[in-house]
Amino acid sequence: MSTSEVTAHPRTTTPSGDKYEGVIDLEPVKRAHQPLYTERADVTADGNAAAALAVLQMWRCVVYAGFPITPSTKWIEMISAHVAAQAGCKKRVKLMEAEHAVADYLAASAASCRDLVFPTATSSVGLDHMYETVKSLGASGLGNVMIINVYRASANYPLCIEGDPSDTLGQRDSGFIQISCRGKQQIYDTVLQIPCVGMHHDVLTPTMPGFYGIKDSHRNARLVCEPDAAIHAFQDRWIKPCPLPGLINGDTAMGNCVTSRFFQGFKVGQKRRFEKVLDVLPQVGADFERTFGRPGISYFETAGWPETGNVDLAVVGMGPDFGTFEEIREGYAKTHGIKVAGLCIRLLSPFPREAVREKLRRARVVLVVNQAHHQGRGHLTLDVADALINLPSPPAVVSTFCGMGGADVSESTWEAMLDNGRRALAGDMPPPYQIFHEGAAL
Amino acid sequence: MSTYKEIATRESCFRPGSTLCPGCMEAMAFQNLGRVTDNGKKTIFTIGTSCAEVSTLFFPNVVAWGRGEEPPDEYTKSFSILHNVFESAASCAEAVRDVADILTDHGALKQPVQVVANSGDGGAIAIGLRALLHTINRRANITVVVLVNEVFANTGFQYSPAATPLTDTSTTPAVGPGPGNPYMPIDYVHLCIAAGADLVAQVSPAHGRLFQKTVEDALECKGTAVIFVPAPCISGWKFEDGRTMELALLGARAGVFPTFVWKRGQGGKVTDCQREAEKRPKLEEFMGPQRRYAHLLERDKATGEVRPRAGREPQIQQFKDWVQANVDRLYALAELKN
Repeated sequence: MSTSEVTAHPRTTTPSGDKYEGVIDLEPVKRAHQPLYTERADVTADGNAAAALAVLQMWRCVVYAGFPITPSTKWIEMISAHVAAQAGCKKRVKLMEAEHAVADYLAASAASCRDLVFPTATSSVGLDHMYETVKSLGASGLGNVMIINVYRASANYPLCIEGDPSDTLGQRDSGFIQISCRGKQQIYDTVLQIPCVGMHHDVLTPTMPGFYGIKDSHRNARLVCEPDAAIHAFQDRWIKPCPLPGLINGDTAMGNCVTSRFFQGFKVGQKRRFEKVLDVLPQVGADFERTFGRPGISYFETAGWPETGNVDLAVVGMGPDFGTFEEIREGYAKTHGIKVAGLCIRLLSPFPREAVREKLRRARVVLVVNQAHHQGRGHLTLDVADALINLPSPPAVVSTFCGMGGADVSESTWEAMLDNGRRALAGDMPPPYQIFHEGAAL
Repeated sequence: MSTYKEIATRESCFRPGSTLCPGCMEAMAFQNLGRVTDNGKKTIFTIGTSCAEVSTLFFPNVVAWGRGEEPPDEYTKSFSILHNVFESAASCAEAVRDVADILTDHGALKQPVQVVANSGDGGAIAIGLRALLHTINRRANITVVVLVNEVFANTGFQYSPAATPLTDTSTTPAVGPGPGNPYMPIDYVHLCIAAGADLVAQVSPAHGRLFQKTVEDALECKGTAVIFVPAPCISGWKFEDGRTMELALLGARAGVFPTFVWKRGQGGKVTDCQREAEKRPKLEEFMGPQRRYAHLLERDKATGEVRPRAGREPQIQQFKDWVQANVDRLYALAELKN
């Protein structure tokens, strides 16, 4: 980089154009933020409210674009109510005419000022409608875009508004960092942390935190909200001024047809930044835990995993239905005299292949539970199988589908799936995949 | 208001290196836009996917935008451009405007910023009509420039909803009993007025001074200004090199795309296009040089006169009727105050 200092705004040359220093001074924006909480508070909230509170508490969020789409609608309703109720609030709500326009709006606002965070919440067909620009954003280097996805099946038959993650799993290759949450506290905490990953200078990749529609979006629970000042201090530790120019403080050309001289180099750079998520995310999570005393973002959560890692039946799943498995795990293991443990995947993209392999390497059978339609054995199954492929004696992989269309996964369904895994332990491998509902293989 | 000469000496933001066809009206529009916007304010363009975009930003060509050989030291002369998908130019410009306004409102940005959205008629009037009208309806303080070449030039000159009737396009071929485009163009000027624009114009650089003055007025608007730029397309309209300006003038004067400027609260004016057909240049003069009308007209080899092909008189009359309605419509719109 070279710097010219002949004007009031020294010009710095970067690989993405020139940047004029001091054109934007965000200190007044930070000062103007009106805190929601000045001390830690216990509230009752559903998932949409938890996600809304988190972005309302971030000083870097100054405009909230949105469009109603079940089951994420309450997010923008709550934001609107809070912004309207704050006298003198300079933040804005931007109600667009369609989700596609929301995505376009996010792209340009994030490009305008790369040091602010531009969030929205959407779901299902809303995310589908955004897809064109979401794909563009994935490669844009704009880590300050955050699309909170409230999982619901993509448009298909039969219509359903429940939490089926086929919408988010259909976006696995969009280039967004996708992290799944369960429970209101995890939703709130994740929304606070994930911009720190996306806007990290080594990453610069947009983010898509998500949680299950209805199951988490519409059900209340206790939520601990941190004081705004503590959140700001945490985020400010991680979010440093972007070294690259934005539209306002730069002389630059941006967009999905604007590439460097080395097109392949650009794509390689995108891939490398994406892989860096695997380094940065655990660091942010660990700092969050040190700061607030709750678990930070991670690749996955574990249930019943022994120190030795020796497990007879390892279950891999995601989302709130994993809680039902956690409830029955110990009893099932005792009844059948086997060691049963589980991984609840959080980081969907990039998939933490190495960490998953390390965790599962001493399992005898891995039962993968998929909850979204897939052309083959299941999104998670393929990722898990890929993670295990180079092990000298990889565990057998049993693939199941359940809870599709957002149906609850009952205890009897979990038991039926576990029975399948147990049969595989005895050498009786089931078909490549099976679908379960209410305790029966369909 | 700046003088024509003063603007001509400014620095454009449109630079060498584009792959637009030689003599393309879009390049001329960008040169003019670039000079008018070199006015002491930071300039940001958004551009939807279009002929203009793929010809000015697309790898492996150079980026044909920016003021000067190098980025200027003076911030107020700096220039940024964002490309996003076809329909997005207006939404994106609105977002840039909002962020600049919010920063200014906070005292975080002291410098003024002007924002211009650029689209083709495919991006703005076909795929992006919804986005355009809603951005206008929200009174976004931006200038929207729509380059109207009446085809999807980017993908090979297919029909667009701005195509004039009966034209031969790649998807409305001039074959069969009803040759050419069977549809009437959408009334985009009226739509933008109805949606709430503060300024709506139809003017090209062929009317040089008026074009520049209109852009200056647009940049000063508090709400949304929309400028439709009739853009004769050498490859799509199929005419000989060097006739772009001539056809832009003829098209305006003959009533195909009359020059029109309308301001909310003041009304509008049709310029350089008489309401009575007999006082306007003959449509055959405009249509004759373009092979997109070759199925309707032919040139007499002996006299050089352009005349209807045998049996095509009804279509020619249909075209003339549409042109008269088009002129009448704009004269009527000019009477609207709000």
